[in-house]
This record gives sequence, C-alpha cells and structure tokens, in this order.
Amino acid sequence: MEDIPKGSLHPLTLLQEETYSVFSKLGFEIAMGPELETEWYNFDALNVSKDHPARDMQDTFWIKSPAEKEVFSGPRVGSPDREKTSFSASNLVLRTHTTSVSIRMLERLAKEGKDTGAFISVGKVFRNEATDITHEMQFYQVDGVMIGKDINLANLKGILIEFYKKVLGEDVEIEFRPSFFPFTEPSVEVHAKFNGRWLEMMGGGMIHPNVLRNAGLDPGKVQGFAFGGGLDRIAMIRWNIPDVRIFYQGDLRLNQF
Amino acid sequence: MKVSYKWLKSYIPDIPEPHRLADIFTYHLCEVENFEKLPGGDFIFDLGILPNRTHDLLSHQGISIELSGLLGIPFKDPKPMYKAQVSKETNLKIDIQSDKCRRYMGRIIRNIKIGPSPEWVVNYLESIGQRSINNVVDATNIVMYDCGQPCHAFDLKKLSGEKIVITKAKNGEKLPVVGRDSIVAKLIDTDVVISDGVKSLALAGVKGGADSGISDTTTEIVLEVANFDPAAVRKTARRLELLSDSAKRFENDLSPTLGDLAMLELSALLLEFLPDAQFEDIVDMYPHKQIEKKLSFKTEIINKKLGSNIKNGEIETILKNYSYDFSRMSDMWEIKVPSLRLDLNIPEDMVEEIGRIVGYDKIKPSIPKIDFIPKENETYIKISHIKRNLVSLGYREVMTYAFADKGDIEVLASASDKKFLRTNLSDGIKKSYEFNKLNMPLLGLSEIKIFEIGTIFAKNRPARHASQGDAGGEEIHVAYADKKEIKEMTLDKFTSSKTKSEFEFSRSGRADSFKKQSISEEIRGPENLNSDEVKIFKPWSLYPFIARDIAVWVPEGINSDKLKSIYHEFGTDLLANEPKLFDQFTKGGKTSYAFHLVFQSFDRTLTDNEVNAIMANISEKIESLGWQIR
Repeated sequence: MEDIPKGSLHPLTLLQEETYSVFSKLGFEIAMGPELETEWYNFDALNVSKDHPARDMQDTFWIKSPAEKEVFSGPRVGSPDREKTSFSASNLVLRTHTTSVSIRMLERLAKEGKDTGAFISVGKVFRNEATDITHEMQFYQVDGVMIGKDINLANLKGILIEFYKKVLGEDVEIEFRPSFFPFTEPSVEVHAKFNGRWLEMMGGGMIHPNVLRNAGLDPGKVQGFAFGGGLDRIAMIRWNIPDVRIFYQGDLRLNQF
Repeated sequence: MKVSYKWLKSYIPDIPEPHRLADIFTYHLCEVENFEKLPGGDFIFDLGILPNRTHDLLSHQGISIELSGLLGIPFKDPKPMYKAQVSKETNLKIDIQSDKCRRYMGRIIRNIKIGPSPEWVVNYLESIGQRSINNVVDATNIVMYDCGQPCHAFDLKKLSGEKIVITKAKNGEKLPVVGRDSIVAKLIDTDVVISDGVKSLALAGVKGGADSGISDTTTEIVLEVANFDPAAVRKTARRLELLSDSAKRFENDLSPTLGDLAMLELSALLLEFLPDAQFEDIVDMYPHKQIEKKLSFKTEIINKKLGSNIKNGEIETILKNYSYDFSRMSDMWEIKVPSLRLDLNIPEDMVEEIGRIVGYDKIKPSIPKIDFIPKENETYIKISHIKRNLVSLGYREVMTYAFADKGDIEVLASASDKKFLRTNLSDGIKKSYEFNKLNMPLLGLSEIKIFEIGTIFAKNRPARHASQGDAGGEEIHVAYADKKEIKEMTLDKFTSSKTKSEFEFSRSGRADSFKKQSISEEIRGPENLNSDEVKIFKPWSLYPFIARDIAVWVPEGINSDKLKSIYHEFGTDLLANEPKLFDQFTKGGKTSYAFHLVFQSFDRTLTDNEVNAIMANISEKIESLGWQIR
C-alpha cells in the first residue's frame, strides 16, 4: 500500500474527543439527541417560562409550519397531555442548547426506575442572531448532568476542575460566581483562569426541582448538577483563535492542531 | 444598570471602597460589566443584574439594601427625611378596566412651575448617563433610578377631565409618543393604554404620549405610580421597539407594594423642588393585593445541596443582617419573605441565597463516586470510527453551515438570507473542495481530500428515537470529496458499505476504544498543554497569494536545504509558508530541485511586480553561486 499522508481532524472534533475522554473516565455516559427539537425539551421541561425572552424569534430559530404536517407526527412523550399529536411549527425549534439532551437522559433514567446517572453531550446548537467575531448562528455546546441521592455543588466544582485541567492545562484555576438560569437553583457562572486572566466559560448549578419533576424524577429523593457552555469558546481561548466564524467555512487552513 | 458609588454611599455610609466593592458585586451578587471613575470623583459601576433580581435590584436603594444585608452594615432609611406635604381633597377618578393593571396610584399637584432641576439632581442623572430634562420629569426619573419604580407625570390641562382610565387600546389606533424621534405608535387591542376616557394619553408602562406630556407651560400635573403585567408590557414594548427603562423594569415584574415608597419619594422631591406646589390626596386603586409569603427551609438542605458545612449560627447572622422576620424550630427555619423579593419561593432559593452570601469560594471541590454503568453510544462509536478511517486514508475534516438557501425545512425570521436547513452535505463539501483546491499551494498539498459528518434535514425522515419524542426530519450523513468524486450517504449506510473496501467498518475492538485513547491522540499524540510548545493558532491573510515554481541545477551532493535557506532569506516576510520541494532528480553530476514558493501579504494584495523583484533577488543569489535556474 502506498504511503498516504494522514488527514486531519477539525479542532472542534479534537476538543469533543478530549471532552468525552475526560468525562468517560469520570463515569459519564456519552449522549446525543436531535438538533431539530421540540419546544418541550428545549424550553418547557427546562423550566423556561412561557414568555421568557429566550423564546423570542430574535434568539431562537422556530421551524415554519410545513405543508405536510404529518411529517412531524409522533407521540409527544414528555408533554403534560401525553397524547398523540401532530407537531405544528409552533413547537419545533433548532435546539438552542444541548441541555435538551440532558433532560432527555434524565427522563430515560426515570423510565428505567433509576435515581443515579451522569451524561455528557457535545453537539451543535443554534441561535438566531447576527454574526460577528464572537457570535455565530451555529456552534457547539458541551452539556452535562449528574444526579444521585446527594450529588452537590462541590461535586460540580470537582468535576469541572478535572475537565478544564484536561482542555486548558494543569495549572488552570476555576471559580464559581453567582448567576441565574431557569433550569438550575442555585445557579453559578463558571470562570477559569487561563494565562493569568479570568474568563467566563460556562453556566451551571443544581438542577431545579421543576426540571427533575418534568423528567419524571422525585426532587425529594434525587438531586444533582447540570452545566453547559460553548465548545467553540474553549477552542478560541486554548488556541487563540480570533474569530468563531472560521470554524464553519470548510477552510482547511483551520486544521492546524 | 449604571450605579453611582456616591449615590449608594448616601444610603450606606460604611460602604467599602470602590475596588473592593467591585469584587463584592462579582463574587456575591452579579457581574460588573464596566467600572469607571468620573472626572468629578464618583465611580460608576455598570452591573449586570441577574434576571431573578430585576424585581428589586434595578435601583440604588435596592442595591443599598442588598449590600447592607450582605455586609452587615447599616442602611440609612430615607423615609423619615422626606418632607410631608399638606394635602387637599381631590376629585381625581381612577378607573381600572384592564386586568393588566395591578395597581394605579394617582395624585394631582397644582401651582407647578416647570424649570431646571437643582444641581444635585442634574449631577446624579448625568453620572449614570441620563440627561436632565426639567424639574418634574427629572423627579420621576430620579425616583425610578432610586427605588426602581417607573413613574410618570401628565399635564392635567391636556386631559379632558380629572379622570384616568386604564383600558385596552383600539385596533389601528395611533398614538404619538414622547422621544426625540417623534414616533407614532400603531396600537392593537392587546396593548394597554392610559386614557382620560376620551383619548389615549400613554402606553401603559412603556412610553408617555407626546400630547399629554410635560411642557414649559405646564402648571398642573397628575402623577402616575402604577404596576402593570410584565408579559403585556414586554409584548407591546418589543412589538413597537420602544425599549424604555420603564418597560425594562415592568417586564421583569415589579412588586405592586413598591408604589407606596415611590409615591412618598416622588411627592417629597416635588415639594423640595417646588415649595409652592399644592398637593391633593393620593388616589390608590389596588384591586388585588400582593399576598404575604412565608418560606421554610432546613439547614440540612443548604449543606446537602452546596456540599458545605454551614452552621445554624451563620445562617442566623445572615438572616439578621438582611433584617428578615424569621423563626427557627431546631433545624427548620421560617422566614417572612420581604415583599420586594419576588424571587424567593422555594427552599432551593434560600440555598442560593446562603451560597452566594457565604461565597462559592468556600465550597471545596470533591469528585463524586456514583453507582452507574454508562451505556455505549452506538452512534458516537460509528462516527468516531469513520473519522478514524477517513483520516488514516488522508482525508481532512471540515465543518460547513447547516443553513442553505433552499431545502425542505424552513426557519422563521432568520437573521440571515439562508432560511432553510441543508438537505445534504454535498453542496457544502463541494464548495469547500473548490475553495481549498485554489489554496493547495498555501496548504502545501498536491490533492484535496476532505470529509464532513453532520446532520441534514429533510422531510419524510423518520424519527431516530420516536419513543423519546423525536420530531424526525433529520439524519446524520457522511460526505467526502476528492479528485474522483463527491459522495454522500447516511451514517448507517456508510458503516455497512462494502462498495469501497478501504472504508469498511470494522466492528471489532470498538468497545471503550475512546476511553483508552481518543482518535485525536492516536493521530497526533496527546497535546501537552503544560509544555512550552503549546500550539497557537496561525492566522491567515485575507489577501490573494501568488505562487511561483523554481527549479535549480546544483552540483550533486548539495542538499536541498541550501536552496531552502536562500528562499527564506530572500523571500522576505512575504513568503507565506515553508518552501515545498515537489520534484528532484540527478543527471550528469547535477541535481535538480524544484520548489513551490507562495507569497502573500497580511495587509495588501501583492502585485506581480513585487514578486518578480523578489524572484530576481533569488535568481541573482543562485547565479552568484554558479548554479543554474532551469
């Protein structure tokens, strides 16, 4: 066989691999889910109120009602009415975060009658916004959850330190600052110190009791943490990549690592 | 929100110095988006108040009360300092006809003289980026930035009578609103308006009307201190793009109880500005009073959720510092929730309160052990293996856009002109192939081989996990392009494909492979993030490059590196990458080396003349050594 020069991977794949590798070692299961998501998993189940600004068309890509509605027909599992219904445009979105995958996994645990589990997902998410060097209509998000009888915020700190050591280097420091997300209470913003600067990396916190309830779990018996943030941002910080848009240009000059 | 240090200090005399205060905000309350010192000596903090605290923290008093509790230092209550007004009976009638209005307080004041505000008012407003308008309007604005309650003043003489009606707008109604751009808002019947019973005067909670506002000749006014439904205000404000400071506060939900303080403060300010003003009694319509809430929580839940060891004594100190009305039965606390704290509802809310007040730095990291056996993710394993195989065959991974200008599934209101989701990867990969082919000299490649694995969206694609409520319509595809073909198929088809033997998907030894060594590590070895050779992105120029080939005869035995160093030396910093040797052969005691040279500038389009001059220098050097250019 002739000697073929090896190909290369996209930087975001490299980071995805490292992410899965570190979380697998910590006992997390790799999870995936649909990019075309229902309003239930993207917003409702995550305790995002009906008139929350994130649901605005300026932030979320809503799917236009197709002529053939049966395309999207299927059982609407997880929705409160649990009846078989056709999906109209009004309840389909391009997922705005992979927290939708996390809630799907919690629901699976509940159906299996389990009260312990941990899931990690890295996937493409979408935001309806004008693009610039730090904003893109599509990007990758890393999202994780862990639940058990006494999984707490100190555990989230422990796990995230392991993660950032792997992707940003051993001497990285992290800290939590107060924040707010509808799906966690308490909520924290995770900052990492890289090359002497504190940088905002992701959001996280203890899963809100309403979210556990929506997944079919009993918040009186289980608790846990959730976290999520942009993978593109980690790549930009780690490799000093100046513009988020170059990730999706199909330009091989990006494959430098 | 912009906050003045001086303004805060008027309420908390023992406030920490500004730099320490910035850290206190960051670690115990919210982000400090900006922090600057003004020429006059004041410091301005731009705070990113969190959405759950916009009820009570979009004001200087709100932040002062919070800091007083957080730091356990006194808050100087301004209420006893407000001058009392002599008040007369009123004929003002208020009629709430909309359930979107939760409270409406009105007050007529006569014998007003519109004029400039006192200097301190102008300074306070300007320090937080606002401009002074006149004494009455400034008073309403000061109250909003001070206690958080938006207020409004109407010119009484522009009303048809002494009557205020809160009602829904008529479809198609037009209302000119205040502001420099003389905007006329077109209303619909879900908008709420303040009317005098004959005509609309203002858009409730959003903007005042241009025709009923304060002017230089105003002598009698009606004050409005009201409370409106957050969703209704938000809808109107967004639709009409009237994002006022007032709308911002109402859409985040304010407590109707805030009205009492605001009316007290507004009246006191106006009396201070206008000592001859004649006040009438306050009319207060408050149909549904806010219910007093109690909240119970255990010390145990705080520590169980935070992973901390906070003692009862610490919790008691916090509750006392915040002046909470509370009681404790062994491990169980009960607090009376302050009326402005609409965010405190469940025990977890107190977990957050205690957590942020104590400081999350007090939480010691720990790795949990859990009783859970992860399942393998078949789809991910397939993707991983395909990537591994393609890379070993020389293919390079690209990612392209999920959006296209045509397709089966359309998104609404896209900010871009690509309103559809892609139905294939081939279109994107074809563009990428052509683009990269043009860049081959820059990339140092003699052939382009690329691939993408990604989701496509098309009608009639079944749901992958219908049982989990998948909507369907999407499918993971694999596409690759090389000089022979562009080929695309589903992930499953690709993994089972026998058509191209070298892509054959091996199912052996796949389990846990990524746990031992990720593909990326397998291909490039682990990147040592702690060594001095940390990889840094090399940016590229946006200007076109110029490529030149040069072949040179040198005596046999001369290494090609000799030529390379000449190209480096004379190629100037316009030489875009490492000269690439693409051909060599030896004949009659001489060796020919052929190199690709690529020139590019980061700040301009290079001309042929510039590159010709560089090539001439190179030639001159080579010929001076007695070698020949072929």
